[in-house]
Amino acid sequence: MNKQLGFFIDAKRCIGCFTCAMACKNLYHQELGVIWRYVYDLKTEVYPHRERAFYSLACNHCENPTCSNVCPVKAYYKRAKDGIVVHEQDKCIGCGNCIRSCPYGAPRHNPVLRKAEKCSFCWERIDSGLKPACVLSCPVDALELIDLSTYENPNVVQYPQGFPRYTKLNPSVRFRVAETPTIIRRKRL
Amino acid sequence: MNSMELPLVAFTILSQAAIGMVIISSVRQYAVEGPTGNIRAEWIVAALILMCGIAASFLHLGHPLGAVNVIKHIGTAWLSREAVGVSLVLMLMIIGFATIDQKVKPALAAGTALMGVLAIFFTGMTYAPPGYPALNNILPFVFFLLTAATLGTAISSYFSPKEKMPLLTLILGAGLLVALTVYLIVPFIWFSAGTVMQQTAVEYLSSPLYWLRIVIGLAIPLGTLIMTRTIPVWVPVLILTGEIIGRIAFFSLTLHASTNIGGI
Ligand code: SF4
Ligand code: SF4
Ligand code: SF4
Repeated sequence: MNKQLGFFIDAKRCIGCFTCAMACKNLYHQELGVIWRYVYDLKTEVYPHRERAFYSLACNHCENPTCSNVCPVKAYYKRAKDGIVVHEQDKCIGCGNCIRSCPYGAPRHNPVLRKAEKCSFCWERIDSGLKPACVLSCPVDALELIDLSTYENPNVVQYPQGFPRYTKLNPSVRFRVAETPTIIRRKRL
Repeated sequence: MNSMELPLVAFTILSQAAIGMVIISSVRQYAVEGPTGNIRAEWIVAALILMCGIAASFLHLGHPLGAVNVIKHIGTAWLSREAVGVSLVLMLMIIGFATIDQKVKPALAAGTALMGVLAIFFTGMTYAPPGYPALNNILPFVFFLLTAATLGTAISSYFSPKEKMPLLTLILGAGLLVALTVYLIVPFIWFSAGTVMQQTAVEYLSSPLYWLRIVIGLAIPLGTLIMTRTIPVWVPVLILTGEIIGRIAFFSLTLHASTNIGGI
């Protein structure tokens, strides 16, 4: 397998602080309402305690990116050297096809530019040997940058409950799922 | 609720109506004996309707001046194929109109019909993306083909000689019956699938838009056809109204996979 960068999301560690999402917003100054990374809280059907378990998600830089396949003007390309899916906004004509097509809701509509945009994996930072802003900012190391061509960890899953399962796209993301907390009851005296 | 996507509502309905019109026009010319009706006017009106649809589709783009670039990714993007397909249909319609001599030439009529169905297939695939599990299948193509069959036949009735109205009434009646059945069954099929599809089924069945479309665009016209055994002049207007409501429902009520992230 060629090098394929991806996000490792540790839902067991994540405390839902939104620092990662803020770091992204801070770096790229997205327009109001435009979000590249978002921290989703798991519904009680998935995790029994409300707003206690989270997935911090952005673009998954899929192996077979539908955004790139459907874009009529070839505004997307996948970097051969590390699998990052780059959106070239100059080429975008704002048809909305990528926004409609990505099941992960990663491409967003920029109402000011009237074009699409999405997480770039901070490829400029990666090319300079730095970590993406979200990964760098997480206070509890719940986000990591991994290379799926060499990554081996028996305790991770690609499609945990609550994360849309699209095997054809093969999203470059791995999760450690949140564990149900141990409830400690005081012994009756 | 998603956006109503009005430019896309206009583009899809108008292009499908125009394609349906020329197909039915050819059926009328060649399937049965008798006068053909005003074919010239019919073909130019179909071409004008298609042009209006294409113009509306530009309004959907954030940067309409870049529209010419949409043919760049014909290798994988259905939207590129759709743009090429619809342009070819328009070209064939204009050639058909320009070369009409009593009838449209049979090869041209057949070619336009074939390209028309292909263009509708491309449009269907454009609106069947992975992001919308309820539509990530053949359904958009089926919906769009039914629009072409019903609305196209209905408008075509304005250009049909009296002698051929029984044929059009039969085609429209059959089209409406199939459409009514499909639209009533589909939400229940969604119910038996995954969470997002089930949620889409609930959205549809609980929306007045869905029921208005069924009643105004399908049930009343079908009932009228059965009772009158012809196509009254106001029926195409009713069918068009139903299509507009139904297409707004299609774009605004279908749920995106990402709306359910974090859920089951
Ligand atoms: S998550 Fe969506 S936007 Fe990102 S690469 Fe995959 S298909 Fe494209
Ligand atoms: S919105 Fe832009 S990037 Fe997305 S498919 Fe359309 S042209 Fe391509
Ligand atoms: S910064 Fe880390 S802990 Fe905070 S929401 Fe993001 S992933 Fe979770």
